Amino acid sequence: MHPAIFISASVLVGMLFALQEWLNARRWGYRIRLTFVGEMWGMQFLLWGIFCWLLWRFLRPLIVKARVLTLVTRVLPLSIATSIAEEMIWVLFFPKVPIDRPPMDYWHRLTFQLDAEFVDSMAIFWCAFLLFRGVSYYQKFREKETTTARLQVQLVQARLAALRMQLNPHFLFNAMNSISSLMRTDVEAADVMLEQLSSLLRMTLERGEVQLIPLRKEIEFIETYLAMQQQRYSGRVRQSLAVDPELHDAMVPALILQPIVENAYVHGLSKCAGDGELSIDIRRDGKRVRMSVVNSGNGLHAERDVAGRRGVGLVNVRDRLRLHYGEQGTLLVREFGMGRVSVTIALPLQIGESGTDEAARFDA
Amino acid sequence: MTIQVVLADDEVLARQKLRSLLREQSDCEVVGECATAAETIELVRTAHPDLVFLDVRMPDMDGFDVIDALSAEKEFIMPRIVFTTAYDHYAVRAFEVHAVDYLLKPFAPERLWAALERIRERAGGTLTGDAKEHGEKRYTSRMVFKSKGRILFLPVSEIRWIAAEENYVRISAGKETHLLRETMAHLETRLDPHFFLRVHRSSMVNLQHVKEVRLESDGDTAVILLNGEKIPMSRSYRARMQRLLHP
Repeated sequence: MHPAIFISASVLVGMLFALQEWLNARRWGYRIRLTFVGEMWGMQFLLWGIFCWLLWRFLRPLIVKARVLTLVTRVLPLSIATSIAEEMIWVLFFPKVPIDRPPMDYWHRLTFQLDAEFVDSMAIFWCAFLLFRGVSYYQKFREKETTTARLQVQLVQARLAALRMQLNPHFLFNAMNSISSLMRTDVEAADVMLEQLSSLLRMTLERGEVQLIPLRKEIEFIETYLAMQQQRYSGRVRQSLAVDPELHDAMVPALILQPIVENAYVHGLSKCAGDGELSIDIRRDGKRVRMSVVNSGNGLHAERDVAGRRGVGLVNVRDRLRLHYGEQGTLLVREFGMGRVSVTIALPLQIGESGTDEAARFDA
Repeated sequence: MTIQVVLADDEVLARQKLRSLLREQSDCEVVGECATAAETIELVRTAHPDLVFLDVRMPDMDGFDVIDALSAEKEFIMPRIVFTTAYDHYAVRAFEVHAVDYLLKPFAPERLWAALERIRERAGGTLTGDAKEHGEKRYTSRMVFKSKGRILFLPVSEIRWIAAEENYVRISAGKETHLLRETMAHLETRLDPHFFLRVHRSSMVNLQHVKEVRLESDGDTAVILLNGEKIPMSRSYRARMQRLLHP
């Protein structure tokens, strides 16, 4: 707390006491000037304000940590010394007090004042002490609370990172396997695929640990992924991808679509002899982003036999949506006629700031 | 005419790949290989190749030092440069020193063929640096951007159409489209209006790729491109197009 605020507050308390004394005096018929009472009380609490602030400033660890023994051996003597010091200074400022008495010398006045005010001073000291101690407890409590919150966020992030790592290698090794097999039959195609895989890795690495990325980046990734799959399935699958231009800057969890598209291939399209169809449609639905991936294939039921395999990728997607958006993120798997399966995810629309660092440059 | 090529890369496997791919091209002749920047400078000085495939990171100096050293010599005609590197962050610098292309390793043969095609296109003229060719033009002849994990040095002549998508523009070139953070208005100032024509509030076509303008049955007009793509044209832009096609 700023010293000026603290000391002003203290003086304000003094003023209230002054007002009370003045009112009391009037009730009992004494004539006393309000300014005079105000000066006395004001000065007393000004001094206390300064003292307490200095104590807090320099003896904070003692105040916060003191146990019973330290309280008796150190804080108690300190309270007595402080109270006496305060009175000594105060008496200096008011040579005419006590009023209505013959003039007295300094020490006389001091003993007089201590006699009347010492207990009050001690009370003020201990009140301030308790106040400081309370405030510091509260601060510590708040700190702990924010640390816990931060830890929780870190934990969630670590889990998200782990989930993402589960997605990548799976896909990586499949691709390498494809390249390895292509190398025996079609070196050119293997080369093209290697370039595509490098592009995908480059994009993934560039993102680093960022959880949310603009949709256009996810789409770039998906486009490259689709091009690679097109190569592997050599034209057996008709792909279509439609994205609402309004959503280029919408923030989505990185790699959220890839496992869904991969699933569409592994469990649906790979079963099609030809004429496979994959369509990805991303549109805005009020305050939500809806992404749906529809693929032809054998439907869901045929898959049940291979118990749970469809699960892994989609469970990851569902977990990540829940971690990011809670109840707001949903994943829905449906089957409709002719063995077509649709996976739709919906999440709250958040428009991110579009970076200008990646702008194109022109010649001359 | 044959294109004389020098390969500069510290990795022998990288040079081998280029050499074997270039062997398929009847008009390319590899006149030398080098593994360090110093060797490269020496070889380029004596052999006067038309084209250098230059790795950015080499043991002694980097690829840019090679270019600096060579361009410091008077009267020396710079060969065309194609950078080959695994790092993407040198792209803008490479673009600024007027490299023809920037191949990110590993690259597919197609990518290399595209680079060679650009070399051939310009081989008709003199093999001088781009700066001299385009230095005085107001309009850009090519642009550099990152798309799908690759670096593209795209000659604007390869652009077929450009369409606005909210805060972005989609550029169609070659087999794919690229999304760029640009505005149509800005692109219009950078692209030569002799070639790039607005056909709609949100689209622009490159006249070099236009086959015809067709009146549809419903009274609307569409631009048909050489590759068969159809781009709708709005009335207000029709008159301008007709003036250009039938002067």
